Amino acid sequence: MASQKDPRRITALVAVLVAAVVLAFGLAACGGGDSGINGGDTEAEEVKLEKKATGDITISNWPLYIDKQTVPDFEKETGLSVKYIEDVNSNEEFFAKMDPLLKQGESGGRSLFVVTDWMANKMHELGYLQNFDKSALPNFEKNLVANLKEPSYDPKREFSAPWQSGMTGIIVRTDLAPDVKSICDLFDPKYKGKVEMLNELRDTVPLVMKCLGIDPTNASEADWMKAIDKIKSASESGQIRRFTGNDYGADLTSGNAVAVIGWSGDAVQLQADNPNIEWRMPTEGCILWSDNMVIPVGAPNPTAAEEWINYVYEPQNEAQIEAYVNYVSPVEGVKEILLKEEPEIAKNQLIFPSKSFTKNCTIQPSPSGEEEQNLNRAFNAVLNG
Amino acid sequence: MSGRGEGAWRWLREHAVQIVGVLVVLYMLIPIAVIFGFSFNDPAGRYNFTWVGFTLDHWSNAFGIPELNEALVTSLKLAVLATVIATVIGTLMAMALVRYEFFGRRAANFLIVIPMATPEVVMGSALLSFFLLLGTFNLGFETLLIAHVMFCISFVVVVVRSRLIGFDRNLEEAAKDLGASPFQTFRLVTLPLIMPGIFGAAMLAFALSIDDFVISNFNSGTTVTFPLYIFGAAQRGIPVEVNVIAMILFFFTCATMGFATWQQRRAEKMTSVRPEQESTIAVPAGAPAAT
Amino acid sequence: MRRRVAPYFLLGPGAAWLLLFFVVPLYYLAELSLNAGVFGSYHFDWHWANYSDALSLYDTQFERSFIYAGLATLFALLLAYPLAYTIAFKAGRWRNLFLFAVVAPFFTTYLIRTLAWETILSDQSPVVSVLDAVGLAPEGHVLATGGAVIAGLTYNFLPFMVLPIYASLERIDVRLIEAGKDLYASASQTFFRVTLPLSAPGVVAGTLLTFIPASGDYVNAQFLGSASNQMIGNVIQSLYLKQSDYPAAAALSFVLMAAILILVLIYIRFAGSEALMGEEAV
Repeated sequence: MASQKDPRRITALVAVLVAAVVLAFGLAACGGGDSGINGGDTEAEEVKLEKKATGDITISNWPLYIDKQTVPDFEKETGLSVKYIEDVNSNEEFFAKMDPLLKQGESGGRSLFVVTDWMANKMHELGYLQNFDKSALPNFEKNLVANLKEPSYDPKREFSAPWQSGMTGIIVRTDLAPDVKSICDLFDPKYKGKVEMLNELRDTVPLVMKCLGIDPTNASEADWMKAIDKIKSASESGQIRRFTGNDYGADLTSGNAVAVIGWSGDAVQLQADNPNIEWRMPTEGCILWSDNMVIPVGAPNPTAAEEWINYVYEPQNEAQIEAYVNYVSPVEGVKEILLKEEPEIAKNQLIFPSKSFTKNCTIQPSPSGEEEQNLNRAFNAVLNG
Repeated sequence: MSGRGEGAWRWLREHAVQIVGVLVVLYMLIPIAVIFGFSFNDPAGRYNFTWVGFTLDHWSNAFGIPELNEALVTSLKLAVLATVIATVIGTLMAMALVRYEFFGRRAANFLIVIPMATPEVVMGSALLSFFLLLGTFNLGFETLLIAHVMFCISFVVVVVRSRLIGFDRNLEEAAKDLGASPFQTFRLVTLPLIMPGIFGAAMLAFALSIDDFVISNFNSGTTVTFPLYIFGAAQRGIPVEVNVIAMILFFFTCATMGFATWQQRRAEKMTSVRPEQESTIAVPAGAPAAT
Repeated sequence: MRRRVAPYFLLGPGAAWLLLFFVVPLYYLAELSLNAGVFGSYHFDWHWANYSDALSLYDTQFERSFIYAGLATLFALLLAYPLAYTIAFKAGRWRNLFLFAVVAPFFTTYLIRTLAWETILSDQSPVVSVLDAVGLAPEGHVLATGGAVIAGLTYNFLPFMVLPIYASLERIDVRLIEAGKDLYASASQTFFRVTLPLSAPGVVAGTLLTFIPASGDYVNAQFLGSASNQMIGNVIQSLYLKQSDYPAAAALSFVLMAAILILVLIYIRFAGSEALMGEEAV
């Protein structure tokens, strides 16, 4: 038994620990923002002193959406110190996490985060986003690709700057499901229990609408419901194995799934795991979308966030990101750079798609208001069986 | 021939329980073996799901992913702080409940039991709505710490209490007779004797905290803990380093527990105050059984 | 006088913490569960319909959760008892090693363990071929079935079952068992008349500590199940974190808590023990 030890030491230890706790609380209270106690701060302080930086910024992005070099390069060039966190796993979940803060005019310490078109739109309508100071964004003005310059929800690109674009279509194991070429093929009983769909209302349902011959762009609520019903019966019959986020990649690699609804950039990266994995343009066409950098209300140091946007819109910098991320780049001039440096990537239709390649594709539709709530409820009822 | 077969059969029958017991232990360790095995994998791409080839790269470069390191450090800090706070105030509560008869004792017991009977989703979401409504807390490390201490307290109380119940009050009386003040009695007699219980409770609190995902997911703000990192990474392929770090944590705990057991054995041999065999290894949830 | 105040001092910090960060949040959750309106304009309105909706819309998931959790608890008990018995009576000097093996999984992170099962049970794995051969995988795969979710729950909460049973077995005076052996004819009789009743408090505590978290779990169903295997925890999580339907999520949380409490009370009544309240019963 511990009676051997000098009990005074134990008491002292407890006292020290209690003191430490009190101290930690005190520090937390003085530190203010929640980034204050997460470690690494002393280093940041030093950097600040040495380089007279204009401050720190916190960037929230999706996981594996950037190479390892860009953030340090940016820090070196600007003297800013970046806290880059990968805590956006789904638009809805991120929104649910942020909404209560944004409602109070706070961003939880984030200066910039990345969300998909429809979410950027929703947040803007709720008054959660700041407009850019365009004079600080010469690269963005100059290098944004033409077809993304005037999206319906932000025709002047005042509050959203595309980070990456992409296509939603099908990803197959060519060795296990060679003849899946369309969305409708996913409902082929031959692949029962081996098909997966995305748990995203705006990706999965419009594609199934296309299979049903409905144009998602002008679809009514009833049209959406029709597609949801089709998905529902496929799920209940066991045709659809499960609904996933990016984790379909694991199932494709292991062979648990042979054909899924998935995102283009993922497929490029997945081929490294298994050359039999291939993204296919559905015969019905694909869904096109962009993830956008936005600056929330209450963002600390928005100027620094703008500096970041301007930085990634420099083609040379963007090329470095693109070579790792493999989605569709929104920056003009990147292809030319990569043609020299990594021609394989530059010639890939999934990374630099031609107009003819995407001719049947639809811009991601986004129901809103009461319609959105009804559809959400119906779709989530399918997801939760 | 038949004699030997019969012998083997009898041996099997006599040892049936042990055999099942060992099989269950092996079953419990299967996933750990898999995690260990795949920490040496050399996946071609992002997914560490199929065996490709053997490499030591991820072990030699275990801390090569800054975000992962940061998450790990956050988790360790959080677990240590939550363990200390929960163990201290939980032990005090256990003392009150075992040693005193007072008004509100039943209510206090109920207050301690209820969190254990509440699903984590409920606790997590309730805390989140509370923090948001209050508005004074920034979601992050502070709120995580509050939450972790909250769900650890009950378990600490329950474990320490079970230790206090088997406690020989005569020893304290003896100390008092010898002129020790109540505080001295506590420090010199009570505390050392219930130390194994406190240690067990602390181990359990640490385990609960470092492993928590559900409640943390609700209350983390921008702070990323180790489990939260894994959850995010699970979407897009968990780096092999996660396996390595999981195993390092595992071996570290092995070593701590082994050391504690060894220390205790030694102490027992030297003092043999109470000769009965006791185990240092936390018998966490064991306590409610202390009827 | 001092003796009267002392317990409150000792109890104070912990009780305050639990009151402030457990009871008060539950109160707010209760208030939220009675909110009406759509997202952006939720307001308190004694909106009891949230509760009737929770029950009528999600009865399948409730039923499923309790069935899965119940089965997982049963399987965990069947696995845990022989193991706890071995540790308590047969392990000898290996006892600490065994105990350690039971506690060890705690330290490798719940999520990683669950994901390891995803690897073990993937469609191409030999385990699944064997299960398929003996007819235990009727759909040709194990993942994305209810069986996988139950197996995951069983595995993940097994230590919560083993440890209390071990603790109560270890407390049994071996002389009682010896006496039982003299008194009763067979080992099995001794077991059922002496050992099992004496370990009952551990069994009760273990089943509760397994059943309660299992019925509210959503991680296993998310990683190991299909859409038809989602549990009530998944619905709450989705309502809260995906659909921002806070009142519905809050109402559902309360229904779940109430349901668990009722089941637990019934169970304790039957088990005839106040195991949950610890030594209070004595």
